[in-house]
Amino acid sequence: MELKEASISRRNLLRGAATAALLLPFGATLASCAAPGGGGGGGAGTGKVTADNPFGVAANSKVDAVIFNGGYGIDYVETSAKIMEGNKKLGGVSVKVNSSTKIAQELQPRFVGGNPPDLIDNSGANSIGWNTILDQLETLDDVLDSNNLEGTKISDTLFGGVKAPGTFDGKFVALNYVMTVYGIWYSSSLFEENGWTVPTSWQDLKALGEAAKAKGKYLFLWGKEAATYYQTMVVDSAVIQAGDDVRLPLENLDAKAWSHPAIQGILEILYDLIKSGYVKPGGGGTQFTQAQSQWSLDQEALLYPSGSWIENEMKKTTKDGFKMKGIAELPLDANQTTPKGTMRAEAGEPFIVPKKAKNPAGGKELLRTMLSKESATAFAKAKLAPTIVKDTVPADGFGSTALVSQSELLAAAGDNVFTIKSFNLYGMNSDQLPIWNSFLGGGMTVAEITSQLQALTDKVREDSSVKKIEIK
Amino acid sequence: MSPRLGGRKLTFDFISFIAVFLLLPLAIFLIFVISPFVQALYYAMTNWTGFSPNMDFVGLDNYVRLFNDSTFKQAMLNNVVLALIVPLITIVIALVFASMITVGGPSHGQVRGLRGSSFYRVISFFPYVIPAIVIAILWSMIYAPTGLLNGALGALGIDTGQFAWLGDANTAMGATIFVIVWSMVGFYMILFIAAIKGIPAETLEAARIDGAGRFRTVTSILLPQMRDNVQTAYIYLGIMALDAFVYMAGLNSTGGPGNSTLVMSQYLFRTAFEKGQFGLATAMGVVLAVLTLLFAALIIGVFRLIGGKDEGGRA
Repeated sequence: MELKEASISRRNLLRGAATAALLLPFGATLASCAAPGGGGGGGAGTGKVTADNPFGVAANSKVDAVIFNGGYGIDYVETSAKIMEGNKKLGGVSVKVNSSTKIAQELQPRFVGGNPPDLIDNSGANSIGWNTILDQLETLDDVLDSNNLEGTKISDTLFGGVKAPGTFDGKFVALNYVMTVYGIWYSSSLFEENGWTVPTSWQDLKALGEAAKAKGKYLFLWGKEAATYYQTMVVDSAVIQAGDDVRLPLENLDAKAWSHPAIQGILEILYDLIKSGYVKPGGGGTQFTQAQSQWSLDQEALLYPSGSWIENEMKKTTKDGFKMKGIAELPLDANQTTPKGTMRAEAGEPFIVPKKAKNPAGGKELLRTMLSKESATAFAKAKLAPTIVKDTVPADGFGSTALVSQSELLAAAGDNVFTIKSFNLYGMNSDQLPIWNSFLGGGMTVAEITSQLQALTDKVREDSSVKKIEIK
Repeated sequence: MSPRLGGRKLTFDFISFIAVFLLLPLAIFLIFVISPFVQALYYAMTNWTGFSPNMDFVGLDNYVRLFNDSTFKQAMLNNVVLALIVPLITIVIALVFASMITVGGPSHGQVRGLRGSSFYRVISFFPYVIPAIVIAILWSMIYAPTGLLNGALGALGIDTGQFAWLGDANTAMGATIFVIVWSMVGFYMILFIAAIKGIPAETLEAARIDGAGRFRTVTSILLPQMRDNVQTAYIYLGIMALDAFVYMAGLNSTGGPGNSTLVMSQYLFRTAFEKGQFGLATAMGVVLAVLTLLFAALIIGVFRLIGGKDEGGRA
């Protein structure tokens, strides 16, 4: 019986099924290049471009905004969204503001599917890496060239240098909304009580550490997730000392970037401070806000290096009468090559408009609304932080000494502000954290930290799969 | 002659039976289980950034890069250490507790556990009820320089000088392993108690009449009869230790001092979402999966060897 012999045994059937199971989807995958679909975009159509509607938002269109819900919340965008919805000249648009704390994870499928939101605040620890989405973003020069709701050209109302942090490869694609000042923060009341003077260069820190120790206090302290605040301080200080000579090699991943004498000199002093016991030990095992409250509430340390968000972040755990003030990061010595007052100040909270969004004009219009004087002033008052729009903070800083010192620093710096982009651009922070935790804990020499940080820089430079962006 | 398959008539009944009970589940299995696996294998051979529909095929480059990446190798080593140590300690402690609660009682009368054993049983199960992330955050506070542990040691007269348990490369891994073991012991103790309860009381009494002490009873009577349970526990705990993401993220989200507690899953997450290298991250996932399979195979093999002649038909 031919048929009987050729019949499929149960084992063979299962074996065949298993082979098919392995092969079929594989073939299908290769053929269709897997999940990413592409397509989409341009769904909302465009309206007529007029002076009051510079991007041509279509009447009755919808705007979809996803905002990072961090230190500043999302209510400031909602406020602007209400103003925009009430703007009669647009012919009625509706704005939906969604919050997210994990921008990259939540929006990744929407980018791949070709259906991203119209406006995104790409901020926070889980933001999308810039080099992965650059070519999918609208340039935003036209937003700055347009007039704000009060009728003034927007670029004339902004602080200096605000385009720099959002410009990659010469294209301005991210509008950073909040002005952040990097500095060293202290309690002015504590300094007055003890007759301490505010340091003016790294050379002054040893004496101040001595004075702190005499009072049973430390000069600095740190928390494990924020150990790289000290890297920020060291790098910024070196740039203040020696300018682009330090900055450009670091930004462009030079093989000798970390060996510059200004960085080395500052690291030596910091190492000396650690070895002298002026840095509170144990930071590598302390959660960072807990550590910060040891500075702001218990006043165990005199100084804390951070961005200007620190006042808002520690609002509830700051000692009464603390009178927080900030100074710019310090040059190595009296021979700084940059103009006096040079400091790191950069606009933060980057807002982006994806090209494939349904209503990119709506996203831009919402940005224009946020940059109006009314919205910007409301932000400064509620968050005690200046936006990139000038002249929104009154002389009394709404009662905040830290906000007043920020305004003073920014005024003193004028156009002499700089920013450091490469660490975030290439996602290096989490690799740098363990190194800084070890160094601050006294477990590493200057030579060791230099070679380890340089090794990280070299690794990114040598990695051909990472797209490099030249920073000027 | 009507069409036949393996000597069976292809009636409507038979074909509809196959369609509903074999083809449908098979299709679901293929679409939702197998195809993601295969897709992952494919993505692992591309330079996909995760945020665009475009990618290039790069072959095995990602794997070459992984095995030249010292941080990844360190994370892998940490995982291996975890997979070897965590199950061993957890199972030994769980076995000791389970034995004490079931057969560790008085040596006269019926074979029974220590007094108050039902109370201990409930108590030791508590940690398992708490979600892992809560446990991790709780212990990160306890281990802090000004935390409960240093306070308690201070009260005992041991001055630790505000030692940072999670901030020192020498203690971070040990402290982390302790937390994982602490949270897992209760569950495996209950599992072992159930296994011991399945052993006939007559066997235990016979052993006692023959003069076996408690330790001898455990090694010669209990352990051989619950080998399968121990093996299962070993594999489950090992898989958990090869992942360990939640504990690590809660205790030392940054990877610990000198990356001493960094695990592959953390590094994978970082590579995908912070650095935008989804292709490379997927390759890490594949390595992790292969390692997990190897681990399970190794454990089953070892237990086969120990099992020896009385293994019989059990797997």
